[in-house]
Amino acid sequence: MVNRGWLLDLVGRTAAVANGATVSVELGEGDPNIQADTVAAWCSRTGNTLVGVRDNIATVRRGPAHDAMAELPADQVPGTRLWMYTNFDCNLACDYCCVRSSPQSERRALGIDRIRQLASEAVQAGVSELLLTGGEPFLLPDIDKVVAVCTAVLPTTLLTNGMLFKGRRLEALQRMDRERLTLQISLDSATPEVHDSHRGRGSWARAVAGMRLAIAEGFRVKVAATLAPEHSDQRLPFHAFLDSLGIARQDQVIRALAHRGVAESGLELTLESLIPEVTITADGVYWHPVSADHDDQLVTADIFPLAEAIGEVQRRFTEQRAYASAAAQWFPCS
Amino acid sequence: MSKPLIVGAVAYTPNVVTIWEGMRDYFAGGPAEMDFVLFSNYGRQVDALQAGMIDLAWNTNLAWVRTVGQTEGACRALAMRDTDTVFQTVFVARTGSNFESLESLRGKRLALGSQDSAQAAILPVHFLSQAGLDADAVELLRINSDVGKHGDTGRSELDALRAVLDDRADAAALGINTWEAIGRDELMPGAFESFWESPTYSHCNFTALPSLSEDRVQPWLDQLLAMDWENPEHRPILEMEGLKKWVAPQLDGYVSLFDAVAEQGISIRW
Repeated sequence: MVNRGWLLDLVGRTAAVANGATVSVELGEGDPNIQADTVAAWCSRTGNTLVGVRDNIATVRRGPAHDAMAELPADQVPGTRLWMYTNFDCNLACDYCCVRSSPQSERRALGIDRIRQLASEAVQAGVSELLLTGGEPFLLPDIDKVVAVCTAVLPTTLLTNGMLFKGRRLEALQRMDRERLTLQISLDSATPEVHDSHRGRGSWARAVAGMRLAIAEGFRVKVAATLAPEHSDQRLPFHAFLDSLGIARQDQVIRALAHRGVAESGLELTLESLIPEVTITADGVYWHPVSADHDDQLVTADIFPLAEAIGEVQRRFTEQRAYASAAAQWFPCS
Repeated sequence: MSKPLIVGAVAYTPNVVTIWEGMRDYFAGGPAEMDFVLFSNYGRQVDALQAGMIDLAWNTNLAWVRTVGQTEGACRALAMRDTDTVFQTVFVARTGSNFESLESLRGKRLALGSQDSAQAAILPVHFLSQAGLDADAVELLRINSDVGKHGDTGRSELDALRAVLDDRADAAALGINTWEAIGRDELMPGAFESFWESPTYSHCNFTALPSLSEDRVQPWLDQLLAMDWENPEHRPILEMEGLKKWVAPQLDGYVSLFDAVAEQGISIRW
């Protein structure tokens, strides 16, 4: 007969821990699927939570499941914002670009047809904001049409380096919906030195000119800086400079350098450390925009239906949080 | 505002802290606030009740019987959980043992929980005796893995079940709560089946001494009985403590344990 003692172990060990704590019990011999079902049935019956069964070890959390999604602020719930990489080519070759964009990069455009469908499905899927990024989106000849299919359904943010507002691209900008579109322009410092050291000589002056132009055209402009730790002293002068341009404080975003793409250093960002922001590229659905060129964070190659893609990200996030929490219980400081 | 009532409880799992913090929060701001003190075993708790360190003791049935004995019947029970009024002892054996009644245990080995466990040791012996099975009729395997926590002897009861699985015993006696915790015979098909369930009896209660005045007891009791399963703020506490409703004590439900303690010569002191 199959040894069923492991269920007694599970009952005893779960009873001995506090609510929210996890226990792991090695299952005995027998059909792993049946045993996993038994653990699930026991959890359901006793009000405990099955974290998972891996390698014949069942992990159970005492008490009802944590709702990882419910614990997030509303604007951070995965799927609330939908990122779309319009293209990967860029007029710049920033030395920390998280997706390795440069003038030599392949375009890998998502394309207006797919963006239109994504925007259309986004509302039904519960998305409340669209974000378009690249590469440099203004390299696309139809960027105004791409933006239009987005702003037609939801508030939209367009990320750009702000350096290309001339000629037909300026005309494209001028055709965009000022009520529904926010421009997010990248600027890394209050003076040219730091910015240009990463992005190329003269890029700071052109970006600032682009910001002034966009503001003059009546667009809401957010500014996002990528700041390496050694430049943390730039923070206050940066805010002062942006204040002088009339950029509201809530539109002044300073983000840490990520060790992704061509960046040689920066924060290590993993599935476990990143709250996902659903990100679509021509290649599929990614965990987060900062990792949209890295297979380790490719969630699925199937972009459509969008609701299923978002659901898969949410499912993985919930599962991953459950295991992360269990891992925290396994390695207490002592 | 009068000073809070101090309730004593035994910390048999870490969740006891959460339960009594929840109870304290529930009473906070009301006419009868409470605080709590945790003890490592029921002996210490009943000593503290008699010493006036605590006003109320959340006692198991054996602690109640002993407190009645030590106070010569002067103590009183204030309330219990609905689940405390219908507690049972369950006798289980390996599936296919063909045990049909307590008589089936004659000449067999019965695993019991800790010696001070009413549901898994004292009352099972009493039920055997009532069925005509005296001390020589059944070989008892006593597993004293959690002595001192005699209302909460789940560990020794699980050990008794392990003894059956390991063929160190033919059957085990355990509380209905442990039987429920392992999913009765439904989650371990082919492992255990129950062959006898005892009549219901009473388990825990809030025990007070006469020195606690009525004007302090009644507001606290009224507020306790007002806890509502349908109230989402109350329910988590009730769920953790294992009840849906606080009820008046059913003292008739302790008769079998009083008889068992007397028959077995169990001391009224620890």
